[in-house]
Amino acid sequence: MTNVSKGTFILLATLLLSACSGTYHGLPRAEMLAYQTYRTHGSLHALASAQAQAINDAVKADTLHPGQYADYGVALALMGHKSAACRMLNAEIKAFPESRSLVYRIKQRLMPDLLLDTAATARDTAHLAQLAGWAYDSLTALLPLPSVPAVIDSTDTLFLQMQTPVDSVEIPIRLTANQKRQLLEEQQAREALRKQAQLDSIAAAKQAKIDARRQAQLDREKAKKEKEQAREQARKEAQKERERQRKEKKKKQ
Amino acid sequence: MKTRTLIYALLLALTLSACKGEKKLAQYSEIYRERPAAIYVAPLSDMSLRRAVRATEDSLFNRSLNIAAHQLFLTATDPLVNNGYYVPGPLASAQIAASETRTGKQLRNESINDYHSDLGIDAILFITLQGWNQTPNSWSTEVEYVLRSTHSNSELLHVVVKATKTLPTDFKGNPLPLVEDKAFAERYGCDLETAQRCRLVEIVNQYVLKDLPAGSRARQHRAERYIQSHPEHFTLKIHPDGSVEMKKSEQ
Repeated sequence: MTNVSKGTFILLATLLLSACSGTYHGLPRAEMLAYQTYRTHGSLHALASAQAQAINDAVKADTLHPGQYADYGVALALMGHKSAACRMLNAEIKAFPESRSLVYRIKQRLMPDLLLDTAATARDTAHLAQLAGWAYDSLTALLPLPSVPAVIDSTDTLFLQMQTPVDSVEIPIRLTANQKRQLLEEQQAREALRKQAQLDSIAAAKQAKIDARRQAQLDREKAKKEKEQAREQARKEAQKERERQRKEKKKKQ
Repeated sequence: MKTRTLIYALLLALTLSACKGEKKLAQYSEIYRERPAAIYVAPLSDMSLRRAVRATEDSLFNRSLNIAAHQLFLTATDPLVNNGYYVPGPLASAQIAASETRTGKQLRNESINDYHSDLGIDAILFITLQGWNQTPNSWSTEVEYVLRSTHSNSELLHVVVKATKTLPTDFKGNPLPLVEDKAFAERYGCDLETAQRCRLVEIVNQYVLKDLPAGSRARQHRAERYIQSHPEHFTLKIHPDGSVEMKKSEQ
């Protein structure tokens, strides 16, 4: 009986574990919540460190979360490590090709000079392990942290590793440089149009507000006049009534 | 007689299963029609009232509301991802939101086709935290979810949820915090009141979004996940503290 119970327990535990392996957990929620709440350099570094660890674990367990590389890339870019950030963003495209346009927009915003750099790190896990340690060291050594490190030690092996594209894999570029430039110009034109439309709508709203205020003022004045006229009329009628009553009294007397 | 009973039971089961499918199909007909693959969670609009900061209690109350709102935003991605959708993370979403010039109201009402053409996003999820209500042993919240398509600008989902969490009380009527809430407060380094709110909004997210139809790439996604998460051999090591370590064999 004991053996049966143990066997059932082990079977149930295995089933539960296998069921759990499909869902995505282990994201640095606490660090993310702390960063969202406080928005400090320290919380950003803590988040980046935790994200690196989470990606390492996810890569090992084959449960990579969509957007995990991109988020880590953005965190690195906000810390000033743009080259590493670019690699992480490219790794996101490699893992989730549907994120191509999104990542392009993020790169355009955070690192326009690395827009055409499509090198993704092949040995992500090893680099991430080093990056995790790096972020932690920065946290302990440089608190409070500047947004961009003032000095980067050129002898730092990790920095050199990230600079050299030895272990990188090129993602085929679908658009040529001219097409990208054209796309950029189109986007800028579209944004300018949108801004203009927004300004127009603000101006129209202001005008409508002024008109409404003027109309309301006219209505108020009209109502006031009508009220005064009505009061005057009522006063006159009351006076007449009093006169009439006085005359009646005199007649009676 | 037994055969007839069996046939009736089978027919009943078939009818019931058919009803279930129909119900889900009817409930999420728009999502089935559009089949979005990438969903962007727009920044949360928090309509809950804050107290003026005059004393320490007020600032703590406001902080609690802020953290709960962030938790609502952060945990909205989990059920979507588990259903096979591509959802950008919070930091990437913040970058998209920062480059947006339109207000939340405009995004909800006007055309959002540019999100598809520029960013490859198929739908945007708008979450509105309408407010909180609190009694000595219960916590209530009202949350509105709107999922808008970037292809047709139509609403794929519109749900308003009123959720209440009631705590058990002791013999004096004082609320007793749950073990999970205590663990959350310890893990996140917050007070119990914040933990109550955070856990409630997390459950609300799960409740509303976990039954969404699977994303258009979900079948392939799940197949891949199944192959990768079930190797031929693996080793389980259970530590004395209760944690489990799983080691996969090299393929």
